[in-house]
Amino acid sequence: MEVAEAMLRFLAGRLLTAVPTLVVIATLAFGLLHAAPGGPFDAAKRIPPAIERSIEAQYHLNEPLWRQYLRYMDQLAHGNLGPSYQYRDTTVNQLIRSGFPVDATIGTSALLAALLIGSLFGLIAALKRDSSWDVVPMLFASIGIALPAFVVGPLLILVFAVQLHWLPGGDWRAGSVRYLILPVTALALPYVAYVARMVRGSALDVLASPYIRTARAKGLPVRTVILRHALKPILTPVVSFIGPAFAGVLTGSIIIEDVFGLPGIGRYFVTGALNRDYTLVVGITVLYGALIIVCNLLADLCYAWLDPRVRLRS
Amino acid sequence: MTASLSTRLLRSLALGGALALCACGNRSPSDAVQTITVGTRLAASQVVNRGLDAMPRTLDPSLSVDTTGQDVIGDLFEGLTTLSMSGQVVPGVATAWTVSADGKTWTFHLRPNARWSNGDPVTAADFVYAWRREVDPKTGAEYAGALSPIVNALAIATGQAPVDSLGVTAVDPLTLRVSLEAPTPYLPFLLADNYLQPLHRATIERYGESWTRPGHMVSNGPFELEALIVGDRITLVKNPFYWDAAHVHLTRVTYYPLDAGPQLDRYLAGGLDFTSGFVSSQYHWLVSHLGSQVMIGPYFGTVMLAFNVIGPPFEHNRDLRLALSMAIDRKILAEKLSQGLVEPAYQLMPPLAGYHAPVPAWASWSAARRHAEARRLYAAAGYSADHPLHVELDYPTSPSERDFFDALAAMWRINLGADVEPYNEEFRVLQQDNELHKTKLFWDAWIGDFPDPFTFLELFQTGFQQNNGGYSNPAFDALLAKATQQTSVAARYRYFEQAEALLNADAPYIAISFYSTMNLVKPYLRGVKQNIEGRNLSRYMYVLEHGGR
Repeated sequence: MEVAEAMLRFLAGRLLTAVPTLVVIATLAFGLLHAAPGGPFDAAKRIPPAIERSIEAQYHLNEPLWRQYLRYMDQLAHGNLGPSYQYRDTTVNQLIRSGFPVDATIGTSALLAALLIGSLFGLIAALKRDSSWDVVPMLFASIGIALPAFVVGPLLILVFAVQLHWLPGGDWRAGSVRYLILPVTALALPYVAYVARMVRGSALDVLASPYIRTARAKGLPVRTVILRHALKPILTPVVSFIGPAFAGVLTGSIIIEDVFGLPGIGRYFVTGALNRDYTLVVGITVLYGALIIVCNLLADLCYAWLDPRVRLRS
Repeated sequence: MTASLSTRLLRSLALGGALALCACGNRSPSDAVQTITVGTRLAASQVVNRGLDAMPRTLDPSLSVDTTGQDVIGDLFEGLTTLSMSGQVVPGVATAWTVSADGKTWTFHLRPNARWSNGDPVTAADFVYAWRREVDPKTGAEYAGALSPIVNALAIATGQAPVDSLGVTAVDPLTLRVSLEAPTPYLPFLLADNYLQPLHRATIERYGESWTRPGHMVSNGPFELEALIVGDRITLVKNPFYWDAAHVHLTRVTYYPLDAGPQLDRYLAGGLDFTSGFVSSQYHWLVSHLGSQVMIGPYFGTVMLAFNVIGPPFEHNRDLRLALSMAIDRKILAEKLSQGLVEPAYQLMPPLAGYHAPVPAWASWSAARRHAEARRLYAAAGYSADHPLHVELDYPTSPSERDFFDALAAMWRINLGADVEPYNEEFRVLQQDNELHKTKLFWDAWIGDFPDPFTFLELFQTGFQQNNGGYSNPAFDALLAKATQQTSVAARYRYFEQAEALLNADAPYIAISFYSTMNLVKPYLRGVKQNIEGRNLSRYMYVLEHGGR
């Protein structure tokens, strides 16, 4: 009962601090973007000033900045991210609704793959220390960390799509696993490697600790020792890594989307920034911010569950 | 027509010139209708996947500003005129037209069998509605200025005249009369443009801004909209009500907005049949691996460097400007830095049938003679080894093209001893600096809106909003004004030629190259022809029987 209460208090506190954090994020994004030279309707071909004024009036861009800011924050509070300036017949909400499921699918698949495969390889490497089970995967892990996605992505396409014709070299069909494999692999690879190295290190530490030795001395089979006693502490550092990894997967997906031509919000984000699509960029920034806050919160909860020494404090 | 500059223009930043341009004067009827020879074996599935440089900002023809949206909108809508496979103007909804003696009143006769995709007839009133909507300030159309040849268009767009005073009248359902401010021989070409397409009034009034969504849009072109996912794809299907549907072979066309790299990946993997471009540095590899699938052609655009002639060091300093221009070895830039994809340019206007562009005499000199003259002019301008020119060359960010600007700087250093520092800025930042005249020497480029010298020469007209360098010459302005009053195209062109010669002598800019169109086209995809407009309408395409990929 006491635990549940502590948990609730912790959750409420974190959610309360999340609101001002998001306001700061939105304000900074809004301010920085408006401070950048040029506006959303500065095309390469300049338009007559009178026409430009009439377009700006349509979007309230002719008002003083503080009023535009208040107008935007008011909309934001109501969940309305405003119209996109770049795609003139579309709202930011519509763009995110159509693009975000793509990022969510790729991001969660990559993160899950990284956690499962990485943990497995890390554990095996630790158990079979200094054997080829250790050396070979760790060599690949080092390569995986070193290679950026914009190198791995085109290489995967070259081999599996262009040469072997096994898998599509990009494109997206909602619900089709075939189209997921290459982008998820490219996105997950560095995280698989990172998790594997982390789990290996952590496992070596834990397996050498006195309580494991005690368990082994009591005659428990290796499998029981690992599953019942060692696994939780081994995975603790991985869980604390989920938060930053999630942020990395989000930003990493911008490159993956570009390489594989996927219709996610990462590409909107980049073209939006270049085209000064103020509402689109601020909207996606706030969304990214909110996701990272939620993910960190979940990671903290898991952490507390895995390691009873960690107390939830709001 | 430069709105998609961030993609299309930058991609070919380093293209030092274009191939020798064709004289595109022949309008062959077979070019406008796709008739297939008997015995040709067509594929059972007439479906084509096309790459696009970027996602069009909108499919609303009135609001569209980017080159990337042109073919999509051209597939969906048809104006009074349209373009043939080779980019020539051919009749569209209008079957014929007459021009008054003063060249200012045009009467168009519409075909009675033109239909909207819901079966409604296309009438003159649909054009009147669309054009009024385009110039109505309430619409907020960025390119409303494109209608400026039409009586009152600019006054309406700037809120100084009522919308119904626009110089366009539906005489009867099949006759449209257009009144112009001045003779505009290129009007038939403008009529094929996005912003002069007819619109289905009932649909727009019913759905408002969302009329361009799949399921809402009613269009009158060879295709209709089936699906659209922003940033992902636009799918069109054949419009059964199109008046010439019998000659449209494709049943489905899907456009994928992608960068050049991913377009190539997907082309090689079999996911695309036609790319909207490729990376110029990959040209040799592509030719050796894909052969005739690599298609190159001249494009109606010029890459240049412009001088800011308001203030030092380039104001009243023709010698210095000319010295910098003559010191550049355009052939080396084209061959070594643009993979030989292009040829050098020495004047503003890309080749155009009937127009004799004045090429400076020094263009044909030997490099040694040209450099010697450049050094003489440089010295005459007051510069020397002890007192070299120091100036920044501003260009839009494009990391792969840095070597192009380094090469330019090296040529100036070696041939003149001038110290030019290439400096890159994000495109919109550069644009703002140009507007404020903060830049001295900067990269500039232009793609003609219509095949007429005016679309290029007006860049140097006094007070023109795009006159980035602030050039002003009353004699040049007078020649332009004279040209635009002529009713005969030949007389019009002669005045433009004189104006351009004047410009060459003054050297307020340095021409570097003409753009090229660059596409990859699968051998089984037919009905594609390179043209200076860079336009490829899907209505002419068909797929031959093939073994895949």
